[in-house]
Amino acid sequence: MSVPTLDLEALFDTGGTSGQGEYVIRAVDVKKEFRSGENVTHALRGATLDIFRGEYISIMGPSGSGKTTFFNAIGGLSKPTSGKVYIDQVDIAQLDPYELAWLRCRKVGYIFQSFNLIQVMSCLENVTLPMAFAGVSSEDARDKGMEILKKVGLEDRALHKPAEMSGGQQQRVAIARALANNPAILLADEPTGNLDLHTGEEIIELFARLRDELGVTVVTATHDLKMLKMSDRIVWIEDGLIKRVSTADEMDIKVEEIH
Amino acid sequence: MEAIGRQVRLPMGTAMQIALQGIKIRLGRALVTISGVVLGIAFLMNVLAGSHISTAMKKNEDLQMKEDMMVSLVKMQIENPKHQQIAVLAVGPVTDYERKAIVTLYKIGLRIRADGLQIPGLKLEPAKLPALTAGAEVVLVIGQGDDCPIPPNILTHGMKQPVILDSKDTTQGERTYAGKPYSIPVTSGIRRELFFGKRMADEKTKIEKRTQQQKFRNFWIVTISLLVTIIGIANAMLMSVTERFKEIGTMKCLGALSGFIRRLFLIESAVIGVVGSVVGVLIGILFPMVLYSFAYGFKNVFSAVSYGHLGVSSLECLIAGTILSVVAAIYPATIAARMIPAMALRTNV
Repeated sequence: MSVPTLDLEALFDTGGTSGQGEYVIRAVDVKKEFRSGENVTHALRGATLDIFRGEYISIMGPSGSGKTTFFNAIGGLSKPTSGKVYIDQVDIAQLDPYELAWLRCRKVGYIFQSFNLIQVMSCLENVTLPMAFAGVSSEDARDKGMEILKKVGLEDRALHKPAEMSGGQQQRVAIARALANNPAILLADEPTGNLDLHTGEEIIELFARLRDELGVTVVTATHDLKMLKMSDRIVWIEDGLIKRVSTADEMDIKVEEIH
Repeated sequence: MEAIGRQVRLPMGTAMQIALQGIKIRLGRALVTISGVVLGIAFLMNVLAGSHISTAMKKNEDLQMKEDMMVSLVKMQIENPKHQQIAVLAVGPVTDYERKAIVTLYKIGLRIRADGLQIPGLKLEPAKLPALTAGAEVVLVIGQGDDCPIPPNILTHGMKQPVILDSKDTTQGERTYAGKPYSIPVTSGIRRELFFGKRMADEKTKIEKRTQQQKFRNFWIVTISLLVTIIGIANAMLMSVTERFKEIGTMKCLGALSGFIRRLFLIESAVIGVVGSVVGVLIGILFPMVLYSFAYGFKNVFSAVSYGHLGVSSLECLIAGTILSVVAAIYPATIAARMIPAMALRTNV
């Protein structure tokens, strides 16, 4: 169990299954180095992980473990120094800037800890922005935007500015925005980090519901134990390596041990 | 599985809309940036408009001076202007100041016989040689034609004291008489005086040299002030980019192309440039207009100034202001465009 790649291959047969479409994200021996002058920091030392379609995955690890770096790499936000990342079986290292933008626009929905709504725009405009980037006509985008806002329960706040709303509402707008172009993957970085307990729970339930209703794959980086309970699998990162991948049932025991 | 496509470029209208929204919400910052452009362009326009106005006023003054010189020179030749008679021979096109001088001479009581000159409202006595100069105190050869067709001795025939006063502006070439340069033996007694001789020409070149130096100095001051404006805009735009790192990163996460981000900032800067330049041009025109009005009178300034020249300069200032703003935004816009999308995840920005 000490060698992570072996461990993974034992759990999910990673060899010879590519091309079947059951994996939505595959990370193979991803390494990432940051250089500043003479110093080289190894943020990732070779992480391998396959994520199934429709899965709810939580990535955990102490700060400085490479958790964020791994999260960025599988989300197509930064390119690894070596190793491969496939999103929907496409090697993202091979993509040019136009294709990368296309991928971020349609395949992946990003959700941030501090919501990152564009303050100058109304909720509806925030939700329709990714559709504008995708070239959807403004009327179609408005209809679709209202539909998605209804799904997250905010259709009556469509014309409000983010500053006029609570944290939980803002995060729901951000989720609606992430869903705008029907992505296959929702990537959420500490989505409940800036929310109180109760609101955080609502957001977690919303994620679970979206997974069940829309079949999207949810990948979160989180410390939130409530989030872990909902997850299908939990990925533990330490020191730039994937130390353990556990299922929710195994986690239950762990969480109770902590309590 | 869907094949990977290429992200489309957004139409200009969408970028424009988002850029304008950005300006609207950050109006305070935009106004500070705009005021920088206003100051720079107002200064440039002030210098240009000031030079247009002063040129127009100088021209007016110049004409007034020429008219005064002609009148005083005639007065010096004649002891008592009442009931005296002078002859006027017009050669070629007659200038405004020559005409005005004749009007003034008529008003002080001189009788004027004229060949080739009529002024509405004045009772000039039309006459030809020899009646033209018979009994005249002086003969004025006016007009800017090169050749006076009558030689001096015939021109002054029948005069008590043969005096020719010539208003040819010698900076534009000497006047010839019947095809020959003016030259008469001293014994003949004919005297010729020029209204605008060598002294006048010297004065003119001196003034021209001074205005040239002034122009050069103005050019430097304006250049430096425009450089300061550029740096000011670039600084403000850099701040604006830094402030919006998270927003830019988010847009990139949502699928914005680098070119779109770059365009966003360039449009914002162009709008700031246009608005700032328009206000700057208005201030830069009004300020010298009012200032010169105190010195020369409201009416004189507004009637003398060339609106064509002012219009051209305004347009130049508008274009200069807009281009400067866009140029100043190139570096900040490039920084924004190059930003990696992962920046959006940073919570401490």
